[in-house]
Amino acid sequence: MTTTLDRQDIQGLVTRGYSTLPRAGFLVFAITQPTAARAALGRLARRVTNGLSEPSDTAVNLAFTSDGLRRLGLETPELGGFPYEFVSGMTAPDRSRFLGDVGENAPRYWRWGGPATPPVHVLVMLYARDEQRLHRLEEETRQGALAGGALAETIRLGTAELTGHEPFGFRDGISQPLVEGLSKAEGLSKAAAAGAGGGGEGDQVVRAGEFVLGYPNEYGLLTDRPLLPSRYDPDGLLPRTPQGAADFGRNGSYLVFRQLRQDVEAFWGYLDAQTRRPDGSSDPAARDALAARMVGRWSGGAPLVHAPRQDDPALATDNDFGYFATDPDGLRCPLGAHIRRANPRDSLDPRPGSAESVSIGRRHRLLRRGRPYGPDGSGDGTGARGLHFIGLNANISRQFEFIQHTWLNDPDFNGLHDAPDPLVGPRQDNRSTFTEQGRPVRTRHLALPQFVTVRGGAYFFLPGLRALHWLCTAAPEGGQQ
Amino acid sequence: MPYQLAVTVRASVPAARVAEVQELLREAGRKGTAGELFPFAEVESIHFARVVLIPEAPGGTDAAMPASVVYMAEVDGPLEAHLRDLVRKAGDGLGRVFGLCDGYPAGGSPGSSERAQIAWLRSHGTSCAAYYVNTAGRGRQQIDQEARLREAIEEFLDRNGPALAGASPAGVRAAIQEHVKGRADLAWARARPAPPPLGWRVRQAVHLVGVPLAALALLPLLVAALPVWAVLLRLHERRDVPDPARPSHDHVRELADCEDFVAQNPFTAVGSVKAGRFRRATLTAVLFVVDYGVRHVFNRGNLAGVRTIHFARWVFIDGRRRMIFASNYDGSLESYMDDFIDKVAWGLNAVFSNGQGYPRVRWLVLDGAKDELAFKNYLRCHQVPTQVWYSAYDTWTLRDLNTNARIRAGLFGPLGPAETEAWLALL
Repeated sequence: MTTTLDRQDIQGLVTRGYSTLPRAGFLVFAITQPTAARAALGRLARRVTNGLSEPSDTAVNLAFTSDGLRRLGLETPELGGFPYEFVSGMTAPDRSRFLGDVGENAPRYWRWGGPATPPVHVLVMLYARDEQRLHRLEEETRQGALAGGALAETIRLGTAELTGHEPFGFRDGISQPLVEGLSKAEGLSKAAAAGAGGGGEGDQVVRAGEFVLGYPNEYGLLTDRPLLPSRYDPDGLLPRTPQGAADFGRNGSYLVFRQLRQDVEAFWGYLDAQTRRPDGSSDPAARDALAARMVGRWSGGAPLVHAPRQDDPALATDNDFGYFATDPDGLRCPLGAHIRRANPRDSLDPRPGSAESVSIGRRHRLLRRGRPYGPDGSGDGTGARGLHFIGLNANISRQFEFIQHTWLNDPDFNGLHDAPDPLVGPRQDNRSTFTEQGRPVRTRHLALPQFVTVRGGAYFFLPGLRALHWLCTAAPEGGQQ
Repeated sequence: MPYQLAVTVRASVPAARVAEVQELLREAGRKGTAGELFPFAEVESIHFARVVLIPEAPGGTDAAMPASVVYMAEVDGPLEAHLRDLVRKAGDGLGRVFGLCDGYPAGGSPGSSERAQIAWLRSHGTSCAAYYVNTAGRGRQQIDQEARLREAIEEFLDRNGPALAGASPAGVRAAIQEHVKGRADLAWARARPAPPPLGWRVRQAVHLVGVPLAALALLPLLVAALPVWAVLLRLHERRDVPDPARPSHDHVRELADCEDFVAQNPFTAVGSVKAGRFRRATLTAVLFVVDYGVRHVFNRGNLAGVRTIHFARWVFIDGRRRMIFASNYDGSLESYMDDFIDKVAWGLNAVFSNGQGYPRVRWLVLDGAKDELAFKNYLRCHQVPTQVWYSAYDTWTLRDLNTNARIRAGLFGPLGPAETEAWLALL
């Protein structure tokens, strides 16, 4: 059961995070003149990096909101086959409630993507080896996009240089699902077949259809995707399904973008206050240890399950562990720690520690492609720091939204109570707590402040290259056929 | 201690008044479920309560099935006491919505009108074909008390954490015991929760033994009928036509508007039973087995691997031509549906494959819900918005309630060293 991915048609961001291109900038546009916009985007589409190439200088990827697709002419009934969440958008009231985007996180306060800010239609993602190349790439993109008033720039989202650490200081991006059909996954899927279970690395190989539309997912089925009657594509630009429909979705993915501001001072200030010695002086070791327990890893990356006492550089990228056998009670890595929520590995019901538990977890994974930002040029005010969270998945409801709602934000996660994610969770009242399990009894930290605030975001569709080409050249203008 | 009843009161709505009912429920939902129209929070026997509009459906060759208003609640028995309290506290709201149905008693002196209303509600009661209770016998008072006990102990530990850090597990537990003993408002915690009334337990026991005995007596008949039934089943299954419809986005939005406000969610769905006597008889038999299973096997917090359902009921309506399924569950609909698919697909298939349009099933239990999106679409298509819904403990999940109960159960009485550690880990 091997799947061959059409990497030439998949956008490059799916297959790689461009770690060799540490500079990135994201341009968000609104479509002002659809016809001119299609021409401008068509020119840009020719530069889009595919999943086969290994760019050494620059990379370009392109994604659209459902409003954007509609503006460009893709106006079939309900954009048939696109899921409710994508079509409604991230800021629909029911989505906001579900995602915890209320209070300070509410879209009305957002810098972009909210009801009070200019429309978001197109996301142009630019990556470069150095600042100079990024600058040039941005200027070229702008010139092409803005020419003739085709598009209007909604916001520019700058990033900080990619260092592998997020603004709180923790190594980030260690645990990624390995996608079936991509090179690194191949060897590991064999390893997993040899000794399944336990939540270790081999178990991280996930069916390609969880991230790319048109391939079997973890249920062995094809996730719903936008299909069009073949008359929409008389020139045969799009792939065809066995039933003859034009497949606009194939090789595409949903891109979840959230600008998350991190209050670095509040985070370390709270930890410092919680860990003062009886004489009132700061205790840096205790402070760092509490931070590590909130995250589940030390700032250097070592997981608490394997390094319960102190950071261990040798384990900086260690991702080969589960929870059930080594730490079922959270005595090493607390039950509410960020990484235990974002990826519970082998601790899920009904039988924690079993291969079944791990396989249920594989239905809720994301490919993370985020970039840190700040302290400047971020589109979020001077001095602000944070993460442009970018997640790729095939089923927004079962993957991104589920992780966000049922694991990260759930105050009752893992048998806890009043305990949303200590790092990224929203606090709707003053009741939020963080518990360090211990013997003889736990230590509970009360009145946990909110450290991360949502500043913008949208659901995008990252089409395959043929779909992109069709969209910019052959899609029925204004929805008429 | 009480036993938890499923109350279902249902009345048809004349077609001309459906829009009015819809608007009334929408308005009541907007004001918040504990708002003025249906002040369920004042009715102490209620765990969960809802008022929904079940839409009409075409009857095919038979008569069309009218729309109806349904009040469904999970309450501590006895029924009479609940209805009396309900009419006193929420009589106005019920009067407004059921007043749009035929024959609801209005006017009269307060006393006689109350009696008339109770009699009307009773006469419109419908029994469940099957009714699942997560933990039989755990009443409202016990739930509230145990939540308060846990909070009191957690606060005690928060205040005294540093002082207790060096103590042994037994020492920490003794300190907690002392604290609770010193609180008059927690005096009840020293006793076990009382069991349900004797009459209820006797009825359960008779049902537990009586059903298998009857089945044993009928065994030769059942064995003879089984092959015939199996052949008929496969013939029917081959002829079934799954409905590929996706729910419209407007419908999903209307449903989502009623979801994800608190720790639990309501689920209400209605569907038509496939035409013909075979499917009706099969579904009746399946629900009979389900009812036995949930009453005697899955009555301790676990419905075949799913631990997040507080209550669920299956109710036939329209002369068994349609069925309502209603439940209260923890978390989101997405996680609820994923649980169905991952853990109890066979059970869902056995019931719902007798409903029109369900994804294709083999041998009553295979496939079906395993077709993830087809199954999710089927559920969403048949779901109706639960605009008026109330939860009496809306921040406490079942996992919480079970932890709270275990904290109470282990607080006093002898525990070994390992048990003491395990008990402390609950906190």
